[in-house]
Amino acid sequence: MRNMSNKTDLVGKSPRATIKVKSRSLIIIGVVLIILAVIPQIASDYIIYVATIAMLYAVLAGSYDLTTGYTGPLTFCHGAFYGVGAYTSALLTLKAGFPFWVAFPISGIMVFFFGMIVGYPALRLKGHYFAVTTFFFAHFIYLVILNSQGLTNGPLGLRNISPPESILGISFKSLQSSYYLIFVFGIAAVVFLYFLVNSGIGKILVSIRENDELAEAIGINTSFYKVLAFSIGAGIAGLTGSLFAHFFRLLHPTTFAWMTSEMVVIMAIVGGLGTLFGPIIGAGVVTLILELMRFAPELRFIIWSVALIAVLIIEPGGLMGIAGRIRGGKK
Amino acid sequence: MVFQQIINGIIIGSSYSLVALGLNLIWSITDIPDFSQGGIYIIAAYTGYFAVKLANVPFPVAILLGMCAGAAIAFCFERFLYRRWTGKGRIQLLSAIALFFLLANLAILMWTAKAKFFPTYLPGSVSLFGFMVSYQRIVVLAVSAILFVLVYLFIQRTKIGKAIRAASQDREAAEVVGINMSTVYSMVFMIGGALSGTAAVLISPLYSVFPTMGELPLLKSLVVVVLGGFGSVAGVLVGGIGLGLLESLGAVYISAAYQHGFAFFILIIVLLFFPRGLFGKV
Repeated sequence: MRNMSNKTDLVGKSPRATIKVKSRSLIIIGVVLIILAVIPQIASDYIIYVATIAMLYAVLAGSYDLTTGYTGPLTFCHGAFYGVGAYTSALLTLKAGFPFWVAFPISGIMVFFFGMIVGYPALRLKGHYFAVTTFFFAHFIYLVILNSQGLTNGPLGLRNISPPESILGISFKSLQSSYYLIFVFGIAAVVFLYFLVNSGIGKILVSIRENDELAEAIGINTSFYKVLAFSIGAGIAGLTGSLFAHFFRLLHPTTFAWMTSEMVVIMAIVGGLGTLFGPIIGAGVVTLILELMRFAPELRFIIWSVALIAVLIIEPGGLMGIAGRIRGGKK
Repeated sequence: MVFQQIINGIIIGSSYSLVALGLNLIWSITDIPDFSQGGIYIIAAYTGYFAVKLANVPFPVAILLGMCAGAAIAFCFERFLYRRWTGKGRIQLLSAIALFFLLANLAILMWTAKAKFFPTYLPGSVSLFGFMVSYQRIVVLAVSAILFVLVYLFIQRTKIGKAIRAASQDREAAEVVGINMSTVYSMVFMIGGALSGTAAVLISPLYSVFPTMGELPLLKSLVVVVLGGFGSVAGVLVGGIGLGLLESLGAVYISAAYQHGFAFFILIIVLLFFPRGLFGKV
């Protein structure tokens, strides 16, 4: 028989079942939140814009970690769910006249069920077959978005997407207020993911990652939990896509081509899979450096693919793995 | 019209089969769905293009150069990267995708996204059943057929070929009886790279050379591997030509926009109902 691939190979030396926020980490998180909260007051529009992208990517990478880092199967279609969410929300407001506040949850729920429909058959596949299928699926979604011209306007893209309607007297037309909306969403999503991975469900997911046959043997319905984690990850990506659509107010199919899915994977690996905060940090680092390298756009992806290979060689656990190593070395 | 589509389908299908044959060998022996072959395909196509355009070499030499470039790159990837992660399948897969990403973007950086066109190396065409088929298309078919026979003979008749077959059946047992797995791994990657490189140079004069050209042949070939099943040369050939035919006929009779989406449906159906492929022996 061929070897089953070891699913903990990407999670650093000693995969922990749960992450607990310690007091020192709390201070760091607090400082980061304060910086993010004051950015719109002091920084230029450009920096606000970059920070918004970083936050959207952070939620994407965090939700990707739920599927791949905590549950195990390597997927390459997170960008596709992001795209489906973005287009669903944009079309609901543009064509059906729904307000954003209705379209936003609907797009999340729709992508959640969509993830379930895709995940249920696909997750029956073992190992690399599943990974290859998700890669294909991402390409297929791109083709659908590109070719359904009647609905998505094809390669011309969707324009004039409305900003979220004002609520409680807050208007979301300005850059700053949109930023705060995404900021609040980002915190909510990360808090949700944090409690999810530290709950009983999170422990079940980790047990599936560590040894899914054993998990099955002790009575865990592994396929149910795998599909659940996959769909929740997809649903959060859908919500993020919806915010993206109404923040930029412009959608184009190439935004959701396979490169996007690959960037999410790179962010998650650079940060460190299976740690939740790792992928979020990874998203911040990658977005920042992508923006700093705006002068040489062709070079950016080259550097990131080299960086991914370097991370895999040096420490497959990513930045969190390196941090763990340093901390371990001090003892 | 139908005849023309059938010819086109067989030609594009034979290029899928060539790439898929290499991928199949690699995947069945080392457990790596080697996405980097898509990048090798791009680099080999440019190698052939520049050899013809700048050095003015004859087309067969360009094919040989593409073949060598492919084999050399694949050899290096295996020896210096994949090998360090033996038994860590997810890292190997990720690095393969990273390498594909890297080569595709290197091509954009070095040669810009603009498509380049091979000069016609063999003008003229022949009449087949009342339809004109250009010589260049016939060359694609002939070279693919020759390569298939050569690879088949190599695997069936030579000593290293026997070692490859043994390794694909049972890796541990092959090592126990003294087969040098290091050589087998290098060999299958070199064969894979050479086949991808050849397919790329062979098919480019019919279309064009551009930095994103590797993606679709790669995806299609992965489907062909799944379709044909591990370790089946005949399965790869039938799967590749079948997919090529389905795409070119489907583009006319079903939908041209989803020409490149059919493979996805086939993949899903095959994986769900025939998890070992249509011709799988393993």
